Amino acid sequence: MISLTSPVETVFHRWPAGLKLALLCVAGTGLFMLASLAGQLVALALVAAFYTLPGMRFARAGLAALRPVALFAALIAAWHVATGTLAEGAVIVLRLLSAVALANLVTMTTRLADMLAVLHWLTAPLRRIGLNTRPPELAISLVIRFIPVLSEKGAALAESYRARSPRRRAGWRIAAPLAGLALDDADHVAEALRARGGLSEGARK
Amino acid sequence: MSKVSERDVVMIALFAALIAVLGLVPKLTLASGIPITAQTLGIMLCGTVLGAWRGAAAAALFCLLTLLGLPLLAGGRGGLGVLMTPWAGFFVGFPIAAFVTGLVMERMRALPVAAGAAAGSVFGGIVALYVFALAWYMLAKPAGLGEAVTVAALPFIPGDLIKAVLAALVTQALAKARPGALPSRG
Amino acid sequence: MSEIRLERAAYGVNGREILCPLTLTLDERRIGVVGRNGSGKSTLARLLAGLIAPTGGAVMVGGDDLFADRKAALARVGILFQNPDHQIIFPTCGEEVSFGLVQQGRNDAEAAARAAMAEIGKAHWWDRPVGTLSGGQRHLLCLVSVLAMAPEWLILDEPFAGLDIPTTRALHARLAALPQRVVMISHDPEALEGFDRVIWLEAGAVAADGPASEVLARFRAAMEGEGDDLTDLAG
Repeated sequence: MISLTSPVETVFHRWPAGLKLALLCVAGTGLFMLASLAGQLVALALVAAFYTLPGMRFARAGLAALRPVALFAALIAAWHVATGTLAEGAVIVLRLLSAVALANLVTMTTRLADMLAVLHWLTAPLRRIGLNTRPPELAISLVIRFIPVLSEKGAALAESYRARSPRRRAGWRIAAPLAGLALDDADHVAEALRARGGLSEGARK
Repeated sequence: MSKVSERDVVMIALFAALIAVLGLVPKLTLASGIPITAQTLGIMLCGTVLGAWRGAAAAALFCLLTLLGLPLLAGGRGGLGVLMTPWAGFFVGFPIAAFVTGLVMERMRALPVAAGAAAGSVFGGIVALYVFALAWYMLAKPAGLGEAVTVAALPFIPGDLIKAVLAALVTQALAKARPGALPSRG
Repeated sequence: MSEIRLERAAYGVNGREILCPLTLTLDERRIGVVGRNGSGKSTLARLLAGLIAPTGGAVMVGGDDLFADRKAALARVGILFQNPDHQIIFPTCGEEVSFGLVQQGRNDAEAAARAAMAEIGKAHWWDRPVGTLSGGQRHLLCLVSVLAMAPEWLILDEPFAGLDIPTTRALHARLAALPQRVVMISHDPEALEGFDRVIWLEAGAVAADGPASEVLARFRAAMEGEGDDLTDLAG
């Protein structure tokens, strides 16, 4: 499974994931409280500097990841132009860009395995009070495993649809057979899981 | 809620994967210029097919993996940045949408599958999701109700109505192909 | 070594009988189960592995009821399914092989899993995403995952379906060399050649049970004599 982690090694890759997440929470709260336009400009400049630090290739990837926000920023800007509240709108758009860019920075520099480790650490209190966190952790692995399997099946269904239809794209029409295959697969996979000990056996250290 | 079985966990995981895969289906563009993808269709299906709590768990699992850094949202988006726009309520609200959809499906057993699924999708995938997402928008931006409705809700409602109809059709097709296989009506 | 005993074990769904009450004792090294589609072969495999409980009678392996006692089941029986994509649960090969060992409560799960992969010369597969493996390689990964758990019995449900001839041969050779006792389910008499015992299932009942050569010859003769029409598919 392809993740959003950047292949360009940055200094941030080496920071502990938990620290990055904690800093992101602090920075996010700070951005939300900061109401001055100048302050928001400085913040955005700072974030931009973080992106250019590891080099231009990384900065370009970061800019590309920010592209989907453009639509949202445009919608907000349009509203504030229409209602004549430009200064307020500028603060909000700048805050939006900085916050998303910072969050993306954490995502781009943290491997999935490290995120999962933080999650495991965060859920430790649940285990201490006797809850079994193994089923959800198993489910996470299953999702990562089955996204490619289901998309292959979806592609095959779309192909067999095209083979017998004048339409070029199957689109949503494969949703029903695909959901059906997912239900069938669930029975088989549950059986295979049970054959190797299921959810409750073993695994208790 | 009874004890979680292997089958429940696997079904939840597979439907979380299904939501992701449906996000890859080529998107349509509405007359209003807003792209619609089959992803919210996947959320509605979680409710109509799996029922309330399993559907909500599948949606939550999908959200979690997206936040952890997998590009599972339509257009290959993902990561923590998703949380940072005022529209994030539409994403964070997925489990609530699936739960309400499933609850309606489970409670309205008297209705035919398609009608129950359509009602569920409208109440869960549209009403519940929008109430939650608009509240989120008003708090996160911050904004008033009028702005939230104009900017965050109106442009997306036509697409979501289409998806509620599709969810009903898909659920009915599934019920026909596999009689008795809908956990939500099991 | 444990033996598998079926005592009037039957299986039915919604009143439809899939397996008639069977009484069998299995203690040969290589046992084949042959039959047509829908004869109840796969149901028998699932009963033997303790994945389903008989709706009548009992199935015991070495005196354990494997449906009730899953802990014992892991040590007694491993099962290999027809479609590796239904069996592989994890995104990478290493996690997949480790899983069963962790489930058995072993503290050295990772080391044992690495050893099991090194034994077949695939140590370099450890971090490999399972999606990049070919069909035959996925079968092999499933086999290693099960064998790493060192069960006494290995149940194989149509292990060669959809594989090419060289891959089938390679897997066949690997299976032949196993110290485990094997129950192999197949619709293909070729795959069961040379087995110690073959059981022919027909409509959920034993049609023949005995040495491979004898049972397979009768099975082949019966299949050749079948009509060419598809009426059997009705229903």
